[in-house]
Amino acid sequence: MVIIVEYNLEVTNLTKKYKDFQLKEINIKLPKGKIIGLIGENGSGKTTTIKSILNLMTYDKGSIKIFGKDSRNLTKEDREQIGVLLDDSFFSPILNVNDINNLMKNFYHNWNEKLYYDTIKKFKIPCNKQIKEFSSGMKMKIKVLCAIAHEPKLLILDEPTNSLDPIFRYEIIELFSDFVNNGENSILMTTHITSDLEHLADEVIFIDEGNIILDVPKEKIDNDYGIVEFFDNNPDKIKKDDYIKCLKYKNGCYILVNPKNEFQKKYPKLEVRRPTLEELMLMLVKGE
Amino acid sequence: MNTIKGLLLKDLYVFKNFKGNIIFSAIMFVFLIFFGSVKDDIFTVGSIVFLIFFGMNSISSFSYDENADSDKYLLSLPITRKDIVLSKYLFVFLNSFISILVGIIVSFTITVLVRGKVYNLGDSLRICFIAFTSVSFLMCSNIPCIYKWGVEKGRMQSVIIPALLVFLLSMLGTLVLVLFPDLYFNLDLKYLLKISPYICIVLNILFYVISYLISYKIFLKKSF
Repeated sequence: MVIIVEYNLEVTNLTKKYKDFQLKEINIKLPKGKIIGLIGENGSGKTTTIKSILNLMTYDKGSIKIFGKDSRNLTKEDREQIGVLLDDSFFSPILNVNDINNLMKNFYHNWNEKLYYDTIKKFKIPCNKQIKEFSSGMKMKIKVLCAIAHEPKLLILDEPTNSLDPIFRYEIIELFSDFVNNGENSILMTTHITSDLEHLADEVIFIDEGNIILDVPKEKIDNDYGIVEFFDNNPDKIKKDDYIKCLKYKNGCYILVNPKNEFQKKYPKLEVRRPTLEELMLMLVKGE
Repeated sequence: MNTIKGLLLKDLYVFKNFKGNIIFSAIMFVFLIFFGSVKDDIFTVGSIVFLIFFGMNSISSFSYDENADSDKYLLSLPITRKDIVLSKYLFVFLNSFISILVGIIVSFTITVLVRGKVYNLGDSLRICFIAFTSVSFLMCSNIPCIYKWGVEKGRMQSVIIPALLVFLLSMLGTLVLVLFPDLYFNLDLKYLLKISPYICIVLNILFYVISYLISYKIFLKKSF
């Protein structure tokens, strides 16, 4: 039986050159019903990738397809199927929640006013206050709401959990999980808070200095990668071929291994644990 | 059409926040006309002051968009670059038009109340037309500068470029008069004033269309 995978977003060999930075052949395939987390340091190329996908900037090489169409030729109807959250840009902060609702229902045919106000109520957001009077967490709630209240098929989110308290971050993660549950919707999100992706992402793409240095299903990270900690700053008893990276710190060091099962068989006395995404990111960038 | 309506609303909501200032200024303005209406030409002056005071305020909507980086967000919604530029021009035009219209109505009403009638109504309206066209020229030479350099960074250019255009046009006019001196003596100013509304309509269309096309071209190339 042949399984045909349908993609909501396909980025192929995306390349963009700047004077002092280059985004090199970025490939992303986001199937329906899946969540991809794009992680990396500041200035690694995450936002450039998002901006290219959203046509906010031109690119030198490659192609971007959304719902199977060239992203530069999407109709307004196609674009109504996309929900976007940008960390650094929104409506003027002197607008209030009601103003935003009035604007959005002009921009989206399928703007769900009931969903908008129900969620506003649930999030306890005041309707008549200007956005500039809100806390940064509350501002982010409004942005999230604007990205989902027209019931899109694809969410493109740039740092959606930034400045949120842990409780609301948990609620948002639940909301995103529900969003892809129908098997048709997908999410591409960038984040600094890699712990949010631990229970959310199906695939993790790690960009460093414009290159993808890791693109793996989350399951594979859970099953294959392992981390071992040494408190004597000396992993010499481990053969160099048996680990990928070693990161030394003041009182010890970590090594990153893959596949961890084979490593564990070879060194049964050592404790191998699953790395967090943050540890993985750190090891890949800073490890030797 | 709904998109344009939404974008116009966005700019109106920004104005809504100055409603206190606008009402206060309008009341002060009405008082000024009321006390000044014993003098000649207060009708014309009143209308033009109203146009300049309220009509040119629309530039501040660019400033609010720039501070919130709104254009970037708007372009990620089902909104095209053309929609954004077109809605801005519509907003600027409508704001100027409504300002002079309200200015004329208010000035007319007060002048009639105080003096019984407005002398030379036709000529006064023609001068209002010319003032409206001058403001259109200023706004239309200003907007492409804002799209190119931004409100903050382009402050200097927004002053220099319209001034340079005025200088070039006046030099051109002088050159024409030097080359064809007879033209000056044959000029029928009364006739020119009579047909000025038609000339103004043509000029307004020209200013807005040329400026829109330049701004659209600039905005099309802009990366966010």
